[in-house]
Amino acid sequence: MSSKETFTQISPSEFFYRNRDLAGFSNPTRSLYTAVREFIENSLDACDQKGILPDVHMSIKAVDAEKPDPKQYILSVRDNGPGIESKQVPLAFGTVLYGSKFGLKQARGMFGLGATMAILYGQITTNKPLIVKSSTDGKIQDEYEMLLDIQKNKPVILKHETKEVAKAGLSLSIRLEGDYSKAGSKIRDYVYQTSLITPYATITFDDPKGDRYRYTKVVRTMPPSPTIIRPHPHGIDVETIRRMLLDTHYQIPAVDDNMILKVRKELGLANKNLSYSEIMDKTQKKWKALTRPVRTVMALMSFLKMDFEKLSKTTIEEIDIGNKKLTYWDFGESQSVSVDMDPESFYYKQLASTVQGETLTSFLSKRFQRVGPTTALKFAEFAKFKPEHRIGTMTNQELVKLTDALQSFDDFMAPDPSCLAPLGESPLEKGMQRFFEPDFLAVVQRGASAYSGFPFIIEMGIAYGGKISSRGIKVYRFANRIPLLYDEGSDVVLKVVNDTDWSRYKVKGEPPLVIVSHICSTRIPYKTVGKENVADRPEIERELKLALLSLSRKLSSFMSKRGQAEAAIKRKNLYSKYIPLIAQFCTELAGKKKEPNYKKMITEEPIVEEKT
Amino acid sequence: MKKKPKKKVSVDKQSTLADLLRKHGAQIYDDLDKGNFPKFSIPSRSVSNIVYDKKIRQYILGANTAVRSSRNSSQLRSFTQLMWLAFFANRLTSQKKSSTLRDVYYSSQAFEVDFEDQAESDNIIVDLEAVLASPRESFHVFPEERSSVFGDLTIEYTVPGYQGKKTNLSDHPDGYAIGPSLTTAELIETSAEVVIAVEKGGLFTRFIEEQVDKKFKAIIVDTGGQAPRSTRTLLKRLHDELSLPVVILTDGDVYGEHIAMVIKSGSANAAHLRGLTVPDAKWVGVWATDIEKYKLPTIPMTESDIKRCHDLLKDPRYQEGIWKKELEVFLKIKRKAELEAFSKYGLTNITDKYLPHKLELAKSL
Repeated sequence: MSSKETFTQISPSEFFYRNRDLAGFSNPTRSLYTAVREFIENSLDACDQKGILPDVHMSIKAVDAEKPDPKQYILSVRDNGPGIESKQVPLAFGTVLYGSKFGLKQARGMFGLGATMAILYGQITTNKPLIVKSSTDGKIQDEYEMLLDIQKNKPVILKHETKEVAKAGLSLSIRLEGDYSKAGSKIRDYVYQTSLITPYATITFDDPKGDRYRYTKVVRTMPPSPTIIRPHPHGIDVETIRRMLLDTHYQIPAVDDNMILKVRKELGLANKNLSYSEIMDKTQKKWKALTRPVRTVMALMSFLKMDFEKLSKTTIEEIDIGNKKLTYWDFGESQSVSVDMDPESFYYKQLASTVQGETLTSFLSKRFQRVGPTTALKFAEFAKFKPEHRIGTMTNQELVKLTDALQSFDDFMAPDPSCLAPLGESPLEKGMQRFFEPDFLAVVQRGASAYSGFPFIIEMGIAYGGKISSRGIKVYRFANRIPLLYDEGSDVVLKVVNDTDWSRYKVKGEPPLVIVSHICSTRIPYKTVGKENVADRPEIERELKLALLSLSRKLSSFMSKRGQAEAAIKRKNLYSKYIPLIAQFCTELAGKKKEPNYKKMITEEPIVEEKT
Repeated sequence: MKKKPKKKVSVDKQSTLADLLRKHGAQIYDDLDKGNFPKFSIPSRSVSNIVYDKKIRQYILGANTAVRSSRNSSQLRSFTQLMWLAFFANRLTSQKKSSTLRDVYYSSQAFEVDFEDQAESDNIIVDLEAVLASPRESFHVFPEERSSVFGDLTIEYTVPGYQGKKTNLSDHPDGYAIGPSLTTAELIETSAEVVIAVEKGGLFTRFIEEQVDKKFKAIIVDTGGQAPRSTRTLLKRLHDELSLPVVILTDGDVYGEHIAMVIKSGSANAAHLRGLTVPDAKWVGVWATDIEKYKLPTIPMTESDIKRCHDLLKDPRYQEGIWKKELEVFLKIKRKAELEAFSKYGLTNITDKYLPHKLELAKSL
C-alpha cells in the first residue's frame, strides 16, 4: 500500500504560503476583509462551543495614518470566550492545520485554518509577530509574541509572560498589509450583517477613522449547540471511506515507550528484562487477560522476535496480510526490514482479524448515522457484497463500488439534523425587529431536509415598511451564521426571490422590503471557491421556496389589511374634497344662498360604498 | 319672400333648459341637506344601448341608464365634474356667454374638479347632453371649427349687445361664419327656395362667385367636411322653420356619401340627441354612378375607403335606395372623384351644367 518512492514534501504552512490566493488573501483589500472574517468567526465559534454569550471587540488601526492605502494596519480582536490553554497557544496559532474543529457538525469555519492563514499573511507582509493574550480561568493571562517558521510549520516564540487579569478570553493582534479605504464598506457590512444573524452577541468595531460601530445583544439565550455526529452514507466519498477504514482497521498501536510500558504492566514484567522467548511464554499464559492493543503488540513481537529493548528502537511501517509480510524501520540500522509471517501461527490469525477489520455490516452500523443492522444487511444485498466481507481486505475497485452503492442506495433514512445549529425563530425575529423596526415582520424555520446526505435547515424572515429606508427588495443571505456579501447575482436565494411574482402578494413597485435567509448545513453547496453564493440544489431551492411562500402569504394578508386602511383614508379624503364642491355648485344651480348642511356626511364614519 | 311666424323658439328652449338645470340642482341640494349622497341617472351611451329608430330615421339611445352616485368613491370625481359642468352651463346660459369644448376644459381648472385632459371633459359634456337631452350648443358650448353660410336670409340677433339687430346673409361676399350668435339668431325672412350644402370651402366660394344663390334662389352652406352640430342645427332650422328643401353636394366617395347621411339622420355618437337631423335632406351627388355618367377623372379607392364601404353596408340606414346602390357601385368600380373633377370641363361647368341637372333631379328623389 505505501510506496517507497519519495516526493519532495512541503509543510502545510509552506503550502498555504504558496497558495494564499485560494484562502482569500490575494490582495490588500481582500486580505484585510478575510482576516477580519476569520478572527471574528473564530471568536464566535469559540464562544458558541462553550455556551458563552459572545462579546467581541475588533479594532483596525493604521500604523501610520498619514500614508496612503495600501498600508500596514494593526488588526485586533478580543473576545470573552474560553481562551486557549497556555501550552496549546503556540501550536494553535503557530502551525497550520492544528485545529479543534475536525468533526461533522455545523460551524462557521471548518478547521480553524483561516485564522492561522491571516496570521501567516500578516507575517509575510509586515514581518511582525503575532500577539496572543489568552486566559482560560479569568485570573491568569498568558501573553505570547511569536512568529511562524513557515518551512518547518512550527511556532517561534519571541516572548512569553503571564500576568493577572479579571476576565477570561482570547485576544489576537496582528500587523498586516491592507487597504481599508477599499475594504471598509465590505468590513462594515460584514460586522452589521454578522450582528443581525448573531443577535445573542455584542459586536463592537472601532474603525481606523475613530468611528465606533456597536451592536449590542438583543437576546440572552443561545441556540442549542449542535452535536457531533457520524456521517450519512449519502454524503460519503472514496477518500472519506478510506480514512474511516484506516482509523478502524489499522488500529495497530504505535509501539512507543508508553505502549511498551503498558505491555510490560499487563504481562507483570514492569521491572524485569526478559528474553524474547521468555516474554512469549509469559504472553501465552496471560493471553486471556490482555487488552486488545497489547494482544496486537504481542502478535507483532512474535514475528519480529525482539525483546523490549530492541522493540523500542523500531517503528512498524506496514502490515501486509495479503503477502504475509511485516515491515519495520530499524532506527539503529536506519533501514527498513521485512520479515515473513507464518500464516499458520496463532498470532498471524490474531493480527489478520485486526487488520482485516470488522465485517461490512458491523462497519456500516457502527460508523454511519441512520444505519442499523437490518438496513446494513439490505444494503449489502443491494451492493452485492457479502455481509461478512471484511472491509480491511477491500481493494481499491471494491472501495469505489462500495462508495457508489452507499451514495445510490435509497433506503437509508434522512440525515440526522441534530448536528445543525439553526438560530431559531424567536432570536431571528428579535434581531430583525431591532435592526429594521419594520411595520410587518414574520419569520419561519423549516423542518430539516437533506441534499446528497447533508442535512440542512432553512430559516427565513421577511420585514416590510417601518424604518426600512431601502427601496426595492433587499436580501440578506447567510450560511451557517456567516453573511454572504458578494456574488449574489447567481445565488439560489436570489433566484427564488426573483422568481416570485410579488404583485400576487400585493407588493408593488419598489417596496421597502427586507428578506433574511439563513441556510444551516454541515456542508453548504457553494458555487465557487469564494464561498459567497449557494448553488441551486433542487432540495434547497424547494425549501427556500416553501419558506418564502409561507412568509409572503403572511405579508400579503398584512398588505391587504393595510391596503384597506389606506383606501379608507383615501376615500375619506376624496369625500372631504369633492362633497363641498358639489355643495357649492348645486347651491348656485338651485338658486339658494346658503350651502346645504353636508358636514356630517364627511365626518361620519364609515362611508358604506355603493357599487353600481 | 318667406316669412317666419313670430315665435321665440330659442328663448323658450333656453328657459326650459334653465328650469331643468335648476331642478337638478335643487334635487342635489336637498339630498345633501338631508345627508343623502346624491346621484344622477344618465342614459347609457354604450354600443349595446344605441339602436336605430326607423320611425324618426336616426340612431337613438335605448332604455338603459347608468347611475352615477356620489357615494361610490370611484364615481365621485366624475359626479363632481358633471355637477360642475351643470353649474358652468347654468352660468353660460344665464349670462348669455359662449364657450367651446377647449374653453370648458380650461375653465374647469379654476374649480379644482380635476379633469385629467380635454378628452375627459369632452366626455362629461356629452354626459350632460344626455342628462338634459339637449345638444351642448343649447348650453352655449359651441364647436371651434366654423362652417359658413351665404344667401338671401335675414336674421335677427339675440345675443347680448346685438338684440334686435338684423343682418342679411348675402351682404358679405365671404359668407357668414356659423357661430354662436348666428346659431341663436331668429330667422326672419328669405327669398330662397332651396338650401345647398356643399362639403368644401373652395366650392362654396365658387358658388358665391357664380351667384348660385341668385341663379337658383339658394342659401349656400359650407359644411367644411363633416358638418358640425351647429351647422346641422341651422340646416334643420332652415328646413323646419322656413320649409326649405335641403340638398347636399359632396365628393364622389364613400366619405362624401356619409357626410350627407349624417346631415340626414345623425350619427351614432349623437344618439342621445334629437333635433340635429334633417330627414328630408337629399344627397344629390357626386354619386358613384355620376363618375361614369359624366366621365369624371378619378383616383383609385384606398383600402380604408373599401373597408368603410363594407362597414356602411351593414348600417341599417344604407339598406335601400341610392344609399345602398351607390355604395355597391363604389365597390364595383373601386374609384372615386372629387367635386373639383368637373373643372376638367371648365371652371364653371359644375354650376352651369351639373348643378341645374341635379337640382332638377332632387325634386323627383
